[in-house]
Amino acid sequence: MRNTKTTLIILLGLMLSYSISAQNSGFLNQLRIGFGGGVNSAQIVDLEPYNIYEDLSGDTYLNTYSDIFQNIGNQYFVQIEWFNDYLIVALKPGTYTYRFSKLNELVFSNETVEQETPYLLRYFTVPLEVRYRFDLQRFRPYAGASIAYSNLLGSLDASNQTFISSRFTAGAVAGTYIDLRYVILDLNVGYHMGLHNITNKADRFETGGGETFAQDDIMLNDIQINLSVLFSLSKQKHYSNVECFY
Amino acid sequence: MLNAFINDMSKLLSHITLAGILLLIVTACEINQSDILPEDGFVKIYNHPDEELALYPESVVEMPDGSFIILSAVKDENADIEYPYTSLVRTSSSGVVSWTMDYQWLAPSSQLILQNGTLSFVAMDQQFNAYVVTVDPSSGSETAQQALDITMPLYSYTDEQGNLLVLGYDFITDASWIAKYNSNFQLQQSNRLHVNTDQLAYPIQQHLNKMGQDYPFFIGSYSNSSASGYFVNCFYNYTLRTVFLDGTSLSALGNIYSYQTEEGISSLIQKSGTLFGLTSYYEGNNYIMAGAEVDVLSSENIKDMPAETLYELTYRAAVMPLQLTTDTENFSLFASQTNDNSLVVYQYALESDSLLNTHTRDFDERVEVRDLIQTADQGIAILAGIYTLGKYKRPLLVKMPPGLFVPEED
Repeated sequence: MRNTKTTLIILLGLMLSYSISAQNSGFLNQLRIGFGGGVNSAQIVDLEPYNIYEDLSGDTYLNTYSDIFQNIGNQYFVQIEWFNDYLIVALKPGTYTYRFSKLNELVFSNETVEQETPYLLRYFTVPLEVRYRFDLQRFRPYAGASIAYSNLLGSLDASNQTFISSRFTAGAVAGTYIDLRYVILDLNVGYHMGLHNITNKADRFETGGGETFAQDDIMLNDIQINLSVLFSLSKQKHYSNVECFY
Repeated sequence: MLNAFINDMSKLLSHITLAGILLLIVTACEINQSDILPEDGFVKIYNHPDEELALYPESVVEMPDGSFIILSAVKDENADIEYPYTSLVRTSSSGVVSWTMDYQWLAPSSQLILQNGTLSFVAMDQQFNAYVVTVDPSSGSETAQQALDITMPLYSYTDEQGNLLVLGYDFITDASWIAKYNSNFQLQQSNRLHVNTDQLAYPIQQHLNKMGQDYPFFIGSYSNSSASGYFVNCFYNYTLRTVFLDGTSLSALGNIYSYQTEEGISSLIQKSGTLFGLTSYYEGNNYIMAGAEVDVLSSENIKDMPAETLYELTYRAAVMPLQLTTDTENFSLFASQTNDNSLVVYQYALESDSLLNTHTRDFDERVEVRDLIQTADQGIAILAGIYTLGKYKRPLLVKMPPGLFVPEED
């Protein structure tokens, strides 16, 4: 954890030093800064189940996760973009919160007990998106790719110990910029795939209660819909279909 | 302008790539985890869907391939016979069930006997006669049975030479009955330790049919300059006491006694020479004497030994001792259960009474420890009973990795 924080500080330091050098080279003219937020829907891929219960009569018990469209989370981020006529590089660091539930079943002859364990995973995430833009004047649709590094934030929920803190994702994004003269809106949809198992294998049984369940090996994918408000640091020249020069 | 942008982008991307590589190096180990295997540590609860069955786990052994076999006594509410029957479960090395098998033999007693690839357990027939029953570990099918010529088996133990020791109870003469057999289960020696009262046959019967107090009967080995042989926790001369027996004649030497049957030693382990570790219970409290000097030739009152109170343990808590032998260091462990539904393992230095570590694992329901073994990877496995949903008693197997007890060097 400490090493990860150190690395994040190094990363931010590099970016800051780069920004300073960019200012010297007039790079600010191609910079947009803003903020945004949105909703996400978490999709859990069960790589390998670990059921704490073994049935002595040979049955197997239900061990699954809630559906993708029941897992509504949210995210809030700062958005920083460098752009030219066609390409945009966007950084969207912020908190990304995912919600989902684990469903377990315990079967007896005269009763079946269903156990639902809710999860809330809040990450500090630094997504990097590279977008190719089509200029349709007021609307400027784009498509691109995304990679992101996430660090799981602390939680009082004991079951969060069953996850490692790091998470890498890659995915595809699409959306459009809407030029509103003084601000630019960025409407963005993305699908992000987890690149690895996020379960802490050494602590998969530290779920807070001993016999409820054991954490499976899982991968966390998500669909995001975001809306950002961006401000250009350069003098605005083109803001509508009707050209208007000052 | 485009060239300037590309140059700036190149710089930015190179910085981000550098930072990304640093991040990858830092997080690679955390993400990789390939060195952590399912069999390193796990928790498994073995549930039977029949609510009318209560499973009382008794003993666990690790097979040479790393799998486990669990012995349980199964009490059926609807059975005509009040004594529990025997059940074996074999699991994989990660605790997944391979097979289960039930047997008509009643009131199986610890411990499972694993010798030369064969597996045996001691249980009794309906007339209280003790038998050693041998099964095929690959399928669980019964392959042989042999009468042990004692009655009411309460505990079985195999020493390092492969001899079988069985503690029984003779309800005709009212005596604890200790018998020693060779590795072919031929009787070598036996001895009766008279209780001098006929008041204990009924508690023994209740102990066997799981309807009364569960007494901490056990057998172990000791060896020092004074004598060598076995210690047996059993009823003797009105009280529950630990009796030190001569290894050949099984005659009683010294003993540690307590107040009638309300007080008792719940576990005992020889650490070295005259240094023993033991636990006891009395008046609702549990006590530990992690490094007590014991003279195996004399009679001692347990109250004369300085003890530390373990307030956290349950009423008359069962305690399972173990000498954990590792490549670097040896420890003495005592596993038990707490009032807040945790399994607890006290890790002591072998040569002293220094408490090195306390390991706990929390559960939502009441747990009762039944067996503790060292696994081949120098970790431990704890067999316990758990009241699933607070109602149904089921076996619980917890495997703990060696890293818990011997910290890995940086």
